[in-house]
Amino acid sequence: MKGLARTVAIRLVGGAVMVWIVATFTFFLVHALPGKPGDVAYEKYVAMGMNSQEAKAKASIIYGYTSQDPLFTQYTHYISDLLHGHLGISISYSGVPVADVIGDALPWTVIPILSGLLISFCIGVSSGVVAAVKRSSRLGSGLSLAASMIAGIPSFVIAILLITVFYTNMGALPYGGTVSETLLVDPGWNVEYVSSVAYHAILPVATYVLISYGGWMLSMRSSVVSVLGDDFILASELRGITPSTRMRYIGRNAILPLFTTLALSFGTLFGGAILIEATFNYPGVGQLLLNSIGKRDYPLMTGAFLLITTAVVLANIVADLLYSVIDPRVRR
Amino acid sequence: MVRFKHFVAASAALATLGTLAACAPDSGAKNGANGGGVFTTVDANNPITPGAPMNPYSPNGNTFLSYNSMRLGFEKKNPMDANDAFPGLAKSWEIKGDTLVAHMQPDAKWSDGKPVTVEDIKMSMAIALTQGTASVGSGQLSEGLNVASVTAVGKHDIEFKQAAGTNNANFAKQILGQSIVPKSVYGHLVPADIWDTIAASQQVDAAQAKAAQAAVDKLNETGKAIAAFAPKKDVSAGPFVVKRVNPGSAILVRNKYFYDLGKIAPSQVVIRHYSGNEQIWGFMKNGDLDAAPFTAIPTNVLNQILAKGYKRADGTSYVNASIAFNQSKAPYDKKEVRQALAYILDREAITKVGQPVGGMASTAPAGMIRKSTEQWLGADEVGKLNPYAHDEAKATELLKGAGLKQKGGKWYLANGKQWKITLQTVNGFSDWIAASTVVANELTAFGIETKPALSADFGAYQTDMAAEKFDVGWWLTAVGADPRQNFQRLYGESDGFVANGDKVTHTEKKGDGNWMHGDETFTVDGQSINPGQLTASLAGLDTEAKKPVITQLVKATNQEVPVIPMWDYTNVKFTYDKNFTNWPKNGQDAILANQPGVWMMQGYIQAKGK
Repeated sequence: MKGLARTVAIRLVGGAVMVWIVATFTFFLVHALPGKPGDVAYEKYVAMGMNSQEAKAKASIIYGYTSQDPLFTQYTHYISDLLHGHLGISISYSGVPVADVIGDALPWTVIPILSGLLISFCIGVSSGVVAAVKRSSRLGSGLSLAASMIAGIPSFVIAILLITVFYTNMGALPYGGTVSETLLVDPGWNVEYVSSVAYHAILPVATYVLISYGGWMLSMRSSVVSVLGDDFILASELRGITPSTRMRYIGRNAILPLFTTLALSFGTLFGGAILIEATFNYPGVGQLLLNSIGKRDYPLMTGAFLLITTAVVLANIVADLLYSVIDPRVRR
Repeated sequence: MVRFKHFVAASAALATLGTLAACAPDSGAKNGANGGGVFTTVDANNPITPGAPMNPYSPNGNTFLSYNSMRLGFEKKNPMDANDAFPGLAKSWEIKGDTLVAHMQPDAKWSDGKPVTVEDIKMSMAIALTQGTASVGSGQLSEGLNVASVTAVGKHDIEFKQAAGTNNANFAKQILGQSIVPKSVYGHLVPADIWDTIAASQQVDAAQAKAAQAAVDKLNETGKAIAAFAPKKDVSAGPFVVKRVNPGSAILVRNKYFYDLGKIAPSQVVIRHYSGNEQIWGFMKNGDLDAAPFTAIPTNVLNQILAKGYKRADGTSYVNASIAFNQSKAPYDKKEVRQALAYILDREAITKVGQPVGGMASTAPAGMIRKSTEQWLGADEVGKLNPYAHDEAKATELLKGAGLKQKGGKWYLANGKQWKITLQTVNGFSDWIAASTVVANELTAFGIETKPALSADFGAYQTDMAAEKFDVGWWLTAVGADPRQNFQRLYGESDGFVANGDKVTHTEKKGDGNWMHGDETFTVDGQSINPGQLTASLAGLDTEAKKPVITQLVKATNQEVPVIPMWDYTNVKFTYDKNFTNWPKNGQDAILANQPGVWMMQGYIQAKGK
């Protein structure tokens, strides 16, 4: 138990150092982007029809939230704020804390991507087992071929295809937004709200499932094929162990390599799927990050990157620790 | 707490995704109490921003002009009279010298039932002066908001007075165009002595400059606090009030206290979020929007939208897309070269590819769009302008005259190097990108090797352009209906013409301008003119006095060709007769220049069958 605590502590310290390195790198990287928030806003206002003076005035209010301190001083303030749990104040939201802005977007990333991740994992792993066991049959070949083809199609193509079929042609599913636009009930535990959220999430989730299904399926197939050739499978056959028990052995051993990938995917899901969110007009972290780059909202950009980094580092630590639990061989 | 509720709901949604989704079609009222139903649209200037405050001073605020965000008047974008406006919270107004007297709508009320008072207006003007608008001495020749006092002169009458020394012919436009917010909501953010601070900031006496700057700083600090303010609920004096902002849409319901409720047909307005033009096209292809703003749109998509039943109404858009030059770089420092390029480029062909739906090929470089030029100069003077019609022989003659040489079908600069152009454009500007291909083909066919190049985004484009990394690129010009605004784009502060009191000085600034380094003076019709000085002088001139100045500026621009306009944009609005009828029609520029909320206030948009 003492050893486990020490291992966890070491991993956490290592993770914190990693987060600090990435936070430092991204801080300087985003500030090196050409373009200033005020200038970007100024041109937007001019294009909207404001005269030069009005546009400059309005943009200056935004620019008022952009620090004028030297970059290194800004960096020390940033790190100091982070240590106190503050991510800073958004420039493009003029005074709204970055944590609040990200917090509002986060559920809309977690819903479609976590759902899509779990669904695609379950389907992919199941069909991977079938494709491996039946690899000499038409079914196995067909499953492998289909997975390879789907894995090769870019996500935005799948998204547009689903929109065209289910929204434009059939009018069966909604496109854009997170809930019914005329729903005037409060968000929360009520059937109308929850079902509307689910209904609007179908196409984004389906897109994520389709783009990630192929990867899970092919990985699982390959892993199962490898396990099928192991001696212990032959031994279990010779000892007359039932096929269902043997399948359990195969599944438990074959899924181990996929477990790490799944754990890491939980970390990366916080970054959202930018293309999917942009195509489906789904206001998650991915779209927030994209908009913040366009507006040169440095605190929001660094905040979003930090969230993604921290999530990946934590997922990695959890995966490492859990791996030793699910695979006793690693503990030796 | 709300965020936690969202998260709980999201988790529940995840768990019930499969079962509930199948039996959950979109629900909601499609017909309101008055039979008007739900009016669905998108706001081109203000997509929904989840989490942003319902505050018109926030740059991404979830307030929507003409629906729940009101002004005293709504600008008609009349090029001949910048002060021309539709009534808003002001029923009418009079301009008397340096004052404006507005007569308020007598029945105007906020959505909480309280009347809109003179104190609300006075506080809103003070707030407007905190939004970066304050400047030391208020600036002669300035077209900013130079209000010095707001005084009640009757139960519903208010007098606005310009700051001393200000001579702004567009004063009424500035006053009428400010957001009006309730004192009951914003009052606590505005210091009681704010008008004293405003007066201190407007001091023109040099001895008071330090105190004036301190006052400006104080106003800006107040402005920052106001921009960051997030009211708990929307309080609107407009026809609608925000009920809720979802991440994907804002839902507004009728303000039952609106002063002219009888004209407002919809019971709800839904403003949908979008993150790209494609989504707006998608909504229209499915008939999901009652009205949609202009977006750059390919012909095939337009046809699909029209086939669905949408109608287009074309109005004037006061902006054109131009090719601009860094005039410090050879050979673009020579006007003959710029003129030659104007002769080479076939603007009709370029517009057909670049902006086939929302563009009209430009006729002559003038600094303004075609319609404004015609209105200001008249047909005779416009006829005298050089249209630079496609003429390669003329271009050849001009280039040779400028010292360039043609060998083996290629053009060479005076220093013997081959002339190559990199035409810079911006990622995401699909019309510029498409048109660049045609421009490059035409110039290359003429012997000037041209290739388009792409900047990652507009921020990067601006920075690199200001750093003078580009010689030739795209630029929006003739922006706005006001001629001064148009010529400021060519001869304004960003081009090195800096106004200082009555004088305009010319500097060779670097790193903070746009396409720069034009000459300080031009000779037009044998007379030397300073385009920066003439542009700045427009701020204080009435319509008749403006005419000769604008004529000089147009002629100078036509002769010097600081930019080559490719097309005038068209303000194309789409409307759909599913739930509502009586839409503004083609050519109704003033009403089409405004949001549908103004259309409603003007009696347009009626429930179908009513």
